Amino acid sequence: MFLYLPLTEFWRTLLASFVGVLTLVGIMTRPFRWTESHIAMGGAAALLLLGLIRPADAALTLLRDWNTFLFFLGMMGLSAMAEAAGLFDWLAMQAARFAAQSAKRLFLNVFLLGTAITMIFSNDATALILTPVVYVLVTKLRLPVLPYLFACTFIADTASFLLPISNPINIIVMSHYPLPLLTFLRLLFLPCLVVIAINFGIFFLLYRSQLKGTFNLNRLPSSAGVIKHPVYFRYTLCVLAIVAPSYVIASALQFPLSVVAITGALLLLGGALHWKRTTLMEAGKGISWSIFGFIAGMFIVVRAIEDTGLTVKFGTLLLRLSGGGSFGVVMVGAFGSALGTNLINNVPMAVVMNSALGSAQYAAPAIRNGFVAATIFGCDLGPNLTTVGSLATILWLLILRERDVEISGLDYFKVGVVVTPLMLFAGALTIWLLL
Amino acid sequence: MRVLGCLDGTNGELIGNAVQMFTTSEALTIALIAVIDAGPRHDIDRVRERFWRPPMAHQPVTQEMLAAETAAVQETLNAGLEFAPGAETLVRQGRPELEIVNAAAEWRADVIVIGAQAEYGEAPHIGPRSVGHVARFVLDHAPCPVLLVRSLAREQFPIHR
Repeated sequence: MFLYLPLTEFWRTLLASFVGVLTLVGIMTRPFRWTESHIAMGGAAALLLLGLIRPADAALTLLRDWNTFLFFLGMMGLSAMAEAAGLFDWLAMQAARFAAQSAKRLFLNVFLLGTAITMIFSNDATALILTPVVYVLVTKLRLPVLPYLFACTFIADTASFLLPISNPINIIVMSHYPLPLLTFLRLLFLPCLVVIAINFGIFFLLYRSQLKGTFNLNRLPSSAGVIKHPVYFRYTLCVLAIVAPSYVIASALQFPLSVVAITGALLLLGGALHWKRTTLMEAGKGISWSIFGFIAGMFIVVRAIEDTGLTVKFGTLLLRLSGGGSFGVVMVGAFGSALGTNLINNVPMAVVMNSALGSAQYAAPAIRNGFVAATIFGCDLGPNLTTVGSLATILWLLILRERDVEISGLDYFKVGVVVTPLMLFAGALTIWLLL
Repeated sequence: MRVLGCLDGTNGELIGNAVQMFTTSEALTIALIAVIDAGPRHDIDRVRERFWRPPMAHQPVTQEMLAAETAAVQETLNAGLEFAPGAETLVRQGRPELEIVNAAAEWRADVIVIGAQAEYGEAPHIGPRSVGHVARFVLDHAPCPVLLVRSLAREQFPIHR
């Protein structure tokens, strides 16, 4: 409605900022048990109703990011169909078989398996599908559960910048600021290996006393037992053997990765339907539909704020804080993004940073690429600080702790506080050295 | 005299032998408790929430998790029963420290026997932080006397601190 009123630029900026900040605070605190998706869509609806963004601009914003939406869909579809084939159970079984009955070796294998799954299926698959599979595996083997659960949840984020498809955040940022594949690999692959090594090393030290035992492999069923339909399983392996290199080729050619993900997911869905491994209804349950409302809402809210010029000012402020040098840019970008992901979750932070990165578009290539790589790095790795939720969740857990009850979520926080700043610094330093 | 021995999957012999100390007293009733720790499930649910997914309860893998947990807890109890034959068995699900003190009150235990912390094949640990968070909570909140048991560690003595 304000679109049609003679409102000064100042008041428009103030109103849009107010709605934007309210949306972000809502996402942080989630009042009245509202979901993030409802809050983000509510913020977007408020901006549209108040006329602070034109419907055509909102629609254009969403259309421009079609690659992100489709990638999320394809990525979740691929993981769900691979899960239906029993692939993750089978892989976890192989991790146990190659561990030579040693709890330590199994711990290393879980790290390696998590890294491989994150690299090809994205962090989503490792955190959501591999974690319960590993939980069942180690419970059957009578091993302590927590070190292995920690390994799965942390490696999901730690290994999520090996390739552009390893985390949807990478796609969100690179849809606006594309990095050639070689530049991506040069700036992020080696830092990712560095932080994986740090993550593994620290966890190994922390849990060494719990990893001293051995296990009896006979407690597990045979590998064939976890494959419910051998033909569909082999078909899944064939499709994935095509999808994985296709991702790399598509990244190199700057071809939309969502097309590869969706094609792979459709091929697996077709096979699953043909061999009656799933139904459309069941396959649909493997998709988090609310995330699309959340991303759409966030894109519109941030676009409205972007129109006021505030996000560019935020980016300029970050650049000024960095002192203008490449070292400062990488450190500020990495730590700033990481902090933001713990306040408002990594997807909104990536959308905000995407808009802020506009301030660096005329900077020298080293500065610009360093800022983009550091943003991806910070947004991907940052959630490890508070793995099981935002800072708001952790504060709530701390309040519960006051009542003397051990809260396992706090264990994650304690470990995250030890390992994440170290990984952030080492990774950011490596990015800077590789610029 | 009613004695409650707390099993954690690694201390069946330790607890079993400890509760045998009470066999000289009259009318000894022993129960062994094993708790399915709900913490890891809550953590998995929190991670799922971060990725905009519903809780695990609706996922097919939940049945597998439950089966694995049930088998593990049964094996834990069987290991305890080898050393304390004829004992009652109690199975609970939730936060182990809370379930133990609540079960002790509900079962009207006269004494709780608990291990200092789980041992995974390493030498017994003595000194600061040698009492795990479950045992610590039980010591603080138990409705009855608590007997804290640990493996013999005489070779680590004398200590100079």
